Amino acid sequence: MLEVLAAFLAALLSTPIAIRIGKALKIEGVDVHKPWRPRVPKTGGLALIAGSSLAILIYIVGSHGDSAAAALLISSLIAASIGLVEDVREEIDPRLKPLLLILAALPILFLGTFTPRPVIPFLGRSRLYKVYPVMILLAYPIVCNAVNSLDVLNGSMIATSAPFFAMSAVIFYLRGDYPSMIFSLIMLASLLAILPYNRYPAKVFLGNSGSLFTGAAMASIAIIGRIEIAAIITLLPQIMNEMHVIFSLGGIKSAKQAKSRPVEIENGKLKASRDKSAPITLLRMLCAEVLVDERQAVRAMAFLASFTALLGLITDLVFVEGFL
Amino acid sequence: MTSLKRNLAAVLALILLVWVSFLAVSYVISVTVFYTLEHYPRDIVLSVLRVVIGLSIAGAWIIGWYALTKIWLYKVLLK
Repeated sequence: MLEVLAAFLAALLSTPIAIRIGKALKIEGVDVHKPWRPRVPKTGGLALIAGSSLAILIYIVGSHGDSAAAALLISSLIAASIGLVEDVREEIDPRLKPLLLILAALPILFLGTFTPRPVIPFLGRSRLYKVYPVMILLAYPIVCNAVNSLDVLNGSMIATSAPFFAMSAVIFYLRGDYPSMIFSLIMLASLLAILPYNRYPAKVFLGNSGSLFTGAAMASIAIIGRIEIAAIITLLPQIMNEMHVIFSLGGIKSAKQAKSRPVEIENGKLKASRDKSAPITLLRMLCAEVLVDERQAVRAMAFLASFTALLGLITDLVFVEGFL
Repeated sequence: MTSLKRNLAAVLALILLVWVSFLAVSYVISVTVFYTLEHYPRDIVLSVLRVVIGLSIAGAWIIGWYALTKIWLYKVLLK
């Protein structure tokens, strides 16, 4: 458990440095949900990457080169580097980005740290030797973009991602899969360490590097730890958000291409747009016909994510564990 | 009275529906599409039929999910 403590401390201590780097290099974004529209460094992802990577490296050294940990680390770093390019330069073509994110799946495939026998509810253990590798390739772009799509409010990405890692840690603990439990706790500790800086009013954004790193870590942990079905269910809010944005924009497009924003600001509070051309998002649904404070909206999103994490846990305990 | 709690409850109900239907759809896809792709059954017509049925149900589920969300947003929440 030394790794978990290292992740927390490293992320906590490196966040102020990440903020300074962001300010010095002008890697900043506008906080559009505040009436005064402050510029906020979007380099918090660097602290998340530093904390998690250090902890996973400690684990790799301690376990004499555990290949699953190496796959988790390399996959997450590949996704993070794609996000970092977007943070520093400009948004990558939304049609090219999913293809680039497929690269993050390669370490898992090449290091063979997957078991192509997922347990399907009502069916039991399946053998998907041909289909499973293809599903791994698809998983990374889907999960990374889905996690990224909920990074819309101060603290919202952490609040909606932490339940995933808590849920997976509980499953791994009950299963006795301690390496996977440590991976989940490392990610949870890193995210929670940055939360004081990222929550309302945010001193730093996690940026695309942070959200893509988190998404790739989720996909890797789900595959390595064999919690595929529980992971999909836990990530329903993120997947739903991303899928509905794509459908309502009529294809894989940048949110900037939308004619109208899903949420408007009224008296410093959030309110759902009534414009039918605006993308359908989770936040828009929560803010329908009501003025919502940003902190209240994040709490509601965290509640939703915790609810689906509970559904994921129930599904795993009822339909999966008995068949492993 | 419109409130955040009402909206949250509505989204939770939608997610519950999606969860239950996902469990059913994952089973259907496994016994149709995945089974055919993994085991190459000898009867080609039956194999094609299985894949078509499986993909149709999966597609219908995704379209149904989106349609349900639109109804939820425009007919219930933004009414």
